[in-house]
Amino acid sequence: MSSAAGVFDETRAELTAAVRDARAAWSWSSTLWLLAFAAVLVAPAVLPLSGQMPDLAQFVYLALAAVGLGYAVGLAGIPSLGQGAFLGIGAFSEALLRTKAGWPLVPSFVAAVAITAGVGVLTGLATGRLRSAFVAVSTWILSWILLLLLASFPGISGGAQGLVLPAATVLGHTLTPTDHYVIGVTLVAVAVLALAVLAPRAAGLGLAAARDQRLAAAGLGVPVARARLGVFTASAAIAGVAGALTVELTQVADASSYGPAVSFKLFVAVILGGARLPLGPIVGLLVISAFSNAAEQIGGLRGLPPGRLEEMLTGYGVLLVLGLGGAGLLPAARGWWRTRMPSRHVPRPSPPMRELPRVESPEPLRAQGLTKSFGSLVVLDHVDLELAPGQVHALIGPNGSGKTTALKALVGELAPDEGAVRVNGTELSGSPRARVLQGVVGTQQATAVFPELTALQNALVGAGLRLEHDGPFRTVFRTPKARADERLAEGKALAALELVGLDDPDRPASELTAHEQRLLMIASALATEPRVLLLDEPAAGGSATELDRLAELLHELRDTGLALLVIEHNLRFVRRVADEVTVLEAGRRIASGTLAQVASDEAVKMAYLGRQKLS
Amino acid sequence: MRRLLLVVGLCAVVAGCGGDKSSDKTKTVTIAVNAPFSRTPYVGQTIADGAALAASKAAVDVNGVKYRFRIKRYDTGLSPSVAARNVRKAIAEGAVAIVDEGTGVDASWQFARDADVPLAVTYQGGEGLVDAAQRPNVFRIAPTDHGMAFRWAEYLIPKKLKIALITDDSSYGQQGAKALAEAFSENMDSVATKLTVPADAPDLSPQVLRARRAGATALLVWAQPTTIASVLSAARSSGWKVPVYTSPTGEDPLVRQQLANHPDWVDGLTFASGRPTAEVGAGPFLSFQRDLENKFGVQLVGVRTPDGAQVVQPPDYAMYSYDFVNVLAAAIQRAGGTADRKKILAALDQVTVAGANGDQRGFNENNHDGVVDDDVYFAKFDGMTYRPVKDDPLSATLVPIEQRR
Repeated sequence: MSSAAGVFDETRAELTAAVRDARAAWSWSSTLWLLAFAAVLVAPAVLPLSGQMPDLAQFVYLALAAVGLGYAVGLAGIPSLGQGAFLGIGAFSEALLRTKAGWPLVPSFVAAVAITAGVGVLTGLATGRLRSAFVAVSTWILSWILLLLLASFPGISGGAQGLVLPAATVLGHTLTPTDHYVIGVTLVAVAVLALAVLAPRAAGLGLAAARDQRLAAAGLGVPVARARLGVFTASAAIAGVAGALTVELTQVADASSYGPAVSFKLFVAVILGGARLPLGPIVGLLVISAFSNAAEQIGGLRGLPPGRLEEMLTGYGVLLVLGLGGAGLLPAARGWWRTRMPSRHVPRPSPPMRELPRVESPEPLRAQGLTKSFGSLVVLDHVDLELAPGQVHALIGPNGSGKTTALKALVGELAPDEGAVRVNGTELSGSPRARVLQGVVGTQQATAVFPELTALQNALVGAGLRLEHDGPFRTVFRTPKARADERLAEGKALAALELVGLDDPDRPASELTAHEQRLLMIASALATEPRVLLLDEPAAGGSATELDRLAELLHELRDTGLALLVIEHNLRFVRRVADEVTVLEAGRRIASGTLAQVASDEAVKMAYLGRQKLS
Repeated sequence: MRRLLLVVGLCAVVAGCGGDKSSDKTKTVTIAVNAPFSRTPYVGQTIADGAALAASKAAVDVNGVKYRFRIKRYDTGLSPSVAARNVRKAIAEGAVAIVDEGTGVDASWQFARDADVPLAVTYQGGEGLVDAAQRPNVFRIAPTDHGMAFRWAEYLIPKKLKIALITDDSSYGQQGAKALAEAFSENMDSVATKLTVPADAPDLSPQVLRARRAGATALLVWAQPTTIASVLSAARSSGWKVPVYTSPTGEDPLVRQQLANHPDWVDGLTFASGRPTAEVGAGPFLSFQRDLENKFGVQLVGVRTPDGAQVVQPPDYAMYSYDFVNVLAAAIQRAGGTADRKKILAALDQVTVAGANGDQRGFNENNHDGVVDDDVYFAKFDGMTYRPVKDDPLSATLVPIEQRR
């Protein structure tokens, strides 16, 4: 009894907290959106739209598919031209199950969405490793395959007259076009809201990071392949929902309504409206519909076929978007609005914890016999390296000596042909994500921040690694654990930014100087709570003052118990920060020790230092 | 609160704008034309013109209330789902009947039935579209595929030809394939091969070559006009003088337009269609054609005869939609107006009118097909115009329609 009361109290406390959070996050724009949604929902009841309801309901389902495509294109940067195919798979699965198998509405709907999601998984697996252009071509081919399949097998597609479905009834009520409209608008609102909630949080930020810098995101532990597959599948499943409901609305599934033309229309809608904003695809689809109506009107006046005019107008629309920078009409409009309206500063609620935890039970990282060859070229030749906690270890050597390859082998980006990397006697294996989870993280040689994210969001990509309740469902439904995790991650991210000296967390990463971007890379890496931090040329391009601050930072990090590896060409900087130095030459370690030991080594002088001085 | 009242008031005003414009003495009723205006403009335009001409001439007077008809067009784009959606829309917008090309009728007839709205097919002849018992609100005034296919079999089999049956993968072609398969099933010796070709393929040479290698001595093509033009191009450009027989789409102006640079390739093309003239002679049809031309202008094909005359297209398919609207007007008169839709549906089985070609048009409780299979005739092209063939008993009795201007 007492435990039941405890659960009740806990639930009440969590609900109170959720309401408090929702109130705190509520703004006048939230009220406007809610009113807009209500207005769209009740429009059929107050406006004389009965004749337009079948068209409106179908438009809303198409908008749902477009928003679904926005997940893939906008969130993950996957240029899918197969959304029409997924729409068709959902539609024909539903139609076949209802007409041929005689299944009732709900089971057939669930099965149709599952089948579409399954095809989405297979397509995502097949195209996951392809470059964007090839993804577009592959998914475009999928659209054609579906169309040709349906045309070739009239038994499946219903041939000339399509597959005719019985009227959809739920609890004895036959669904009307108005019912479909309400269902469609609600689903679109849910899909848009879910995207709006997901995009700025850990899962969405990871995808955005992978969209802009796939290697850097993977280096911070973002499960790039899995996340992209997940979002592609979600996109396909949403299209499946739209397709299945569309055939229930029209009561006929015909091949001509799906395939490449619809895929292309949806893709253009997403690009036209703006892929990165949840409402962008809907705006794009509205614009295309306006073009279609305009083409019909102009065509009617001039006696021209409307189809070509529509294509022409849509083409001009796409050119306009490209002229505006390529982000889409809605982002362009938002940008314009922001230049007209002064932005109001909303104070950030302070997270409960704003510090990075100290490294607990520090252990050295030992690399033994690392060997890597590319064909006949031996890039690393049995290199040993030990990174002790609380020490800065510099890895130096001439260009092409294998420094960056060594770093890639340490972080798991490259698998060595021979040798092993161990921490506390345990061999590190697997992907960069596995290494980051084990506390080994590195930064890229080139500046690799995520330009479309703010500084804080960049750091959150790293801080999101150790969240336990950050799955898409928990995130979308804003569960107490997910919200607590987010607050924790934000605290870590802010602490990491503070530590590296970036004091404006809301500044877009693209607006930072090159040196600040390098600091941001370090902050993102620190937010993953590493034991071993590997930095590839952190001092590149820094001014004397900036390097002074960077050296201080590395000393501060060293004092927290971190093991640091710095790959650097700037020997003056190395001299300031390094406790240990290893020198590579042609893939081999030619010296290792303290600064003084290495500086006096004849081989090092011959191979690398020349007239430069290390000590 | 004031704002809320204002919004509610505005909504009421807007809602009121959609009311009936009819006065006490006249009533305007809408007939929807649901056809593929964008995909096959000739077919769509023909159906709409015939319906519009009848609508402008129909005189219905019930107890002093005059009924006027207006035509509203809906484009199907040859998509069954769009066609079904159009029918729903038309019914919601108050259409009293649907004049339909035939695409999507399997799905749309139920929406029309639920509203007691008659749906008349005036182009497609697919089997199963019309069934007086199962689909009491569906009517057809157009030759049936079944009738045409059997007439082809009856006409061609005695010629001892080896026929390649070529259909395209459009819905029209698929329906034709089904009808031809049935018609020739008893005489498979006459069939050299059956081919389904893509409807939008720019070059059908490989398929035509396959037919030739299969030993075909004639081609029977049931397909969209562009496919027919492509088959003719492929055959003639390779020097194959094989006789080509086609579905009614062979007379579509598009075929001649696409082959305008090779008028000799069109010569000999023979198509089947519903007869434009009846036993009473060409008078009724010519009168109908004159009225149609006066209202909508002469329909020029866009090609010339060898002696330089412009070629016009006889409005043979327009007469079917024209006839249905006249039957509908008679049914409304008999039903005592449009108030009771069920009465109109019942009256459609009881009235008969004189058709544009002089035939009597009407339906009964057991038969909703307004064109009998025996009314299918054959016509052959010569110099970009066509005339009925002489080697078919029915066709030989028909008067040619003048097509030169």
